[in-house]
Amino acid sequence: MQRRQFIKLATGSVAAGLIPASALSARYSPGLRFLRPPGALDEDDFHARCIRCGKCGEICPNRCIKYFHTENGLASMDTPYIIPREQGCILCMKCGDVCPTGAIQKIDRELEAIVENVKMGTARVDRGLCLSWQGKTCGVCYRACPMPDIAIRVGRLEQPHVLKDCVGCGLCERSCIQIPQAIRIIPSNAG
Amino acid sequence: MVDNKPQYLLRHLNKLRWFSLLTVFLMLILLPFLHLYQTYEAAHAYDLLAPQEKLISDTMQALTEPFVNDPAEDLDQVKGNTWSGTLFGLKLSDPLAVVGQMAAGLTLYWPFILTALIPILLTLVLGRFYCGWICPATLLYELNDNLGAWLKKAGLPITRRRLDKRLKYLVLAVGLVLSALAGSVLFATLYPPAIVGREIYYAVALGGFGGGAVFFMLTMLFDLMVARRGFCRYICPGGALYSMLGRFRLFRIRRVVENCNDCAKCNVVCQFGLDPLHDDFGQECNNCSACIAVCPTDALKFTVKTVDVTFQGPGHLGQQYRKHQSAREPEAA
Repeated sequence: MQRRQFIKLATGSVAAGLIPASALSARYSPGLRFLRPPGALDEDDFHARCIRCGKCGEICPNRCIKYFHTENGLASMDTPYIIPREQGCILCMKCGDVCPTGAIQKIDRELEAIVENVKMGTARVDRGLCLSWQGKTCGVCYRACPMPDIAIRVGRLEQPHVLKDCVGCGLCERSCIQIPQAIRIIPSNAG
Repeated sequence: MVDNKPQYLLRHLNKLRWFSLLTVFLMLILLPFLHLYQTYEAAHAYDLLAPQEKLISDTMQALTEPFVNDPAEDLDQVKGNTWSGTLFGLKLSDPLAVVGQMAAGLTLYWPFILTALIPILLTLVLGRFYCGWICPATLLYELNDNLGAWLKKAGLPITRRRLDKRLKYLVLAVGLVLSALAGSVLFATLYPPAIVGREIYYAVALGGFGGGAVFFMLTMLFDLMVARRGFCRYICPGGALYSMLGRFRLFRIRRVVENCNDCAKCNVVCQFGLDPLHDDFGQECNNCSACIAVCPTDALKFTVKTVDVTFQGPGHLGQQYRKHQSAREPEAA
């Protein structure tokens, strides 16, 4: 059966081409820096809970939630992520409301609840890149922060200091006028 | 005694079914556009929109203006897709999503399990109706099947193999085991209705189809080149789950043997490869009512019964039955 063999070979090679070998491993972590939506469980629980329904992205008013293809491994396919430099999270907490499985926990849209429960990451300032730390008064990150003086405060020349209550929404990284950005979120899911 | 009068209105049920399929599909296309409109509204940035974005915004505003006061908030009431969605505040999920998630997490999360309650109850009563009446992939698969018929007329070799129907139950079981091992809901990326809903959203709101679209095209090719409606019949894990839930469904199609003339049009039109002519519907029947619509003598109708009738013999209007009768009563003939 020559034709059948050909079909087998063809489908096999197509499948092998579609799936990069490295992406086959479920726990493959290529070191992408991304955030999960606010209130998301840690990575393993998140993979088990998320049914990839796409409602979190569909309700996000800021369009910051996007979806993985295969770049973060097959287990992450179609799961939501946020790249803060592209679009930060405005902490509206709608994604937790709409998530049916609790992969993104429901959190009240109140300051205390957000500071307590949201742990997307923490901002870190690169003082070598930051304009204010280089003596040119800037302060954009402080003004972009939804929780000024709680998550970030500024000192002399508007030099930013990140405080421990920063939840990692990424609005500072989004707004930083330096290229590359001088403030960036260190995701809490990085392990 | 069962009422044998034909139910004439049921012939049009198939049209209603197409209307239902189209409504679901159009909603899946509309919802991403509504989401875009919501984001434009939330940003208060109408003047900054590009011309095509303004077009979207204007169209959606015209569509929704009579129903909503504050689009950015009120339109949140309808979200999602058939895999898991919010319909006027009511969260509904596909039972396969619930089962798959239970396997992946090895936990019971009740708020989520309850979202599948209404679909499960409906399936217990109506059988595998989801596959025929709601599934957005079904619409494309049925159109694909019609395309296959045209291609066959044009002389292309359309293969219609028959595989073992039980394959899909195996796919369901293996999928659940693999989900548990991988700790990830694997069905989500391989289940056509979930793929269709998601890919439409990707295409409209995120600027392009994802890998799921490729997989979906492959299943369409499988249907054309290997088996008629092959994915639904032999592979779909959701179909397997719905079939099992709908095994003892209350509403099922029955052949009225007195009206049947053995023309076998029902067997030809049945895309799931069932055998209405020999009273063999089984748990795979999705109550799509295509056989009712095609029957020239109105010999098929819905009944309320938990099991199929056993084979009633050849139809009384058919030749076989007449021969049989005349052989038995020669003097009467």
